[in-house]
Amino acid sequence: MTNYGLVIDQERCIGCQACAVSCKQENNVPMGQFWNRVLTEGGEKMDTPSGGYPEDGGSGSLDMQYQPTACQHCENAPCVKVCPVNATYTRDDGIVEIDYDKCIGCRYCMAACPYNARVFNWDEPEHMPEGGTGDVEERPQGVVEKCTFCSHRVDEGLDPACVVNCPADARIFGDLDDESSTVSKYIDKYETDQLLEDRGTDPKTHYISGEMSPGRPQTSDKMESELDDVSPWSDGDDVPSDGDDSAGGESSGGHHSVSGDEVPRVPSVKSGGDD
Amino acid sequence: MAEKTESSRVAIPSFSGKGKLWIGLLVVLMAAGLAAWGYQLTMGLIATGMRNVFSWGLYIMMFVLFVGLSAGGLIISSAPKFFHSHRYEGFARLGVLVSLACIIVAGLLILPDIGRPGRIYQFFTSPDLRSPMVWDFGVVLLYGLLNLWYLWLLTRRDLAARGSSLALGVKDTEAGRERDRTLMFWTAAVALPTAVALHSVTGWIFATQIGRGDWFSPLVAPVFIAKALVSGLGLLLIVSVLADRYTNFEVDREELTSLGKILGIFLAFHVVYLLAAERLPHAWADHFEFWAIMSNFLIGDSVYFWLWTVVGGAVPLAMLALPSLRKRVSVIFTASVLAVVGTMFEGIRLVFTGYEVANIDSAPGISLGGEYTGITTNIWATAGAYTPTVVEIAVTLGIIAFGALIVTLGLKYVPIQRVDAEPSYAADGGKQDQ
Repeated sequence: MTNYGLVIDQERCIGCQACAVSCKQENNVPMGQFWNRVLTEGGEKMDTPSGGYPEDGGSGSLDMQYQPTACQHCENAPCVKVCPVNATYTRDDGIVEIDYDKCIGCRYCMAACPYNARVFNWDEPEHMPEGGTGDVEERPQGVVEKCTFCSHRVDEGLDPACVVNCPADARIFGDLDDESSTVSKYIDKYETDQLLEDRGTDPKTHYISGEMSPGRPQTSDKMESELDDVSPWSDGDDVPSDGDDSAGGESSGGHHSVSGDEVPRVPSVKSGGDD
Repeated sequence: MAEKTESSRVAIPSFSGKGKLWIGLLVVLMAAGLAAWGYQLTMGLIATGMRNVFSWGLYIMMFVLFVGLSAGGLIISSAPKFFHSHRYEGFARLGVLVSLACIIVAGLLILPDIGRPGRIYQFFTSPDLRSPMVWDFGVVLLYGLLNLWYLWLLTRRDLAARGSSLALGVKDTEAGRERDRTLMFWTAAVALPTAVALHSVTGWIFATQIGRGDWFSPLVAPVFIAKALVSGLGLLLIVSVLADRYTNFEVDREELTSLGKILGIFLAFHVVYLLAAERLPHAWADHFEFWAIMSNFLIGDSVYFWLWTVVGGAVPLAMLALPSLRKRVSVIFTASVLAVVGTMFEGIRLVFTGYEVANIDSAPGISLGGEYTGITTNIWATAGAYTPTVVEIAVTLGIIAFGALIVTLGLKYVPIQRVDAEPSYAADGGKQDQ
């Protein structure tokens, strides 16, 4: 089974808001609403650190990190369980999505979501420009909406807009059930956290902090599983596993991915260089 | 059957000038509420004070209150029936009438809260059985129908005797009355667990949620039962006293005092005991010094807390605890009003504790989807804030007025008062509980 997940490398994130803006644009998110927000972990205000400057030759305590936050696409999603009319559901590929034709607008899911990832169309949604933006139809007044991992793009074999548009290569999208995918490897190799882990929601969004990862191999808009179309199995998850062509255990089949310890482009260096 | 016709009477034989004025007031409130709802439907829920962080408001707070209010009447009338007792018989019919009106108000309060009320049929066509809201929808519906059936069952022979068309063809016969007594017992046997289920399930809507602070507590369901007992009995006493004063309905003073005493016991259990049980473990675990633990245990943090515990708890409890005071109807009435008002603030406080604080509150925060009215011009917020708008208040008052109209019409068309108990029935069970 495919089970899509997202890895966000907070060591790589530069807080540029490109993911927030490209999400808003791609998904035609109305004015006054954000599906994806880049939060500042640190000071009281956006882009401000906590702590103080070094004084009198001492060492300072300034600390700041960015936390891009959208729907976490939880395995044990409370929003899915509370929806009285099955409008919010988990797709077979793990994406938590809303059927906007079913949603009655009771907002129980907003109460259930510990991450405040959901927004409600309190009035007639307003777009700038008026015709809207991106590739997703606008949602009507009176329904709840949220991040879909750009399921309309994923269905076409493309990475979510926020992933493609991240200039720092800090966002990696892929199949958590595929051990050879970059997301699986990074979760295995780097120190990753899920938000509010103690609530037991088991999000499919994982945050790297500590050691910086090499990020996402930025070669195309296509999803990782779509990249190598030499193989007849190239269209995704139904690649026959290990069996005939991977004696060495390397993922040389339909998957273009980071193989073994060999990582693309950026050598793994210690963190701290960019903050 | 001639003597049977004397055994019951309606509380309002015909509306006087004052009565018509009262109905007129209710109709005006309902019309205003309907207009406000129409306005809200065209504008969207932007017309309310709710926004993305604080996404449930007055409608849900009042829903919680009215679900609780609907408990008292049904329990006071069905519990004695279940134990074959004649106690509080004078309150039985009025109680069920008040219960019915309250559950209708509660159900209607959901409609304006919903973003797309036209799709509410999805509860039937596409329900998710995991959702506590589906359970609640089912149990509210069941409870409403049960109240309607019970009220009709309690009064249908008397309605038939009076020649009312509301008897729906039922005849007033001795055998029929005998059979109804058995049916009443079984209805009571179903009504009691249904009432418990109603309040528990409504509590679980909140208690199952891990994302909203204090909501996630196993105590919420028992607390909902307790507050239903307090507010439901409180409202029944209020309506009884008012009906006694303004209509031909007569309250048995002794039973009224006795119910007042029970209200005191419910209050003590709810506001003193359950609240203490809820607060102590948190206060103890979070603090180190004895006085820090104690002050955290005893001193609340919000104005709603004090309105609930002092105005709605300690004061009415003191009034009902003093034997010299609680014999007075005015004292029982005031204590009941305070208990209901206190319970209202408890529900308000519950919703606030869930939405006031965001779990992830880093800057810039959460997009609101509109400005918080009058509080900020920013679309971002790191905490929840809520003030109901005039629209919300008008809609809510309109729905409550509809409930009051149901009670008023019930007093007019349903024989709400039984004048004397039937001796054959009282012979076995009637003496024991004196």
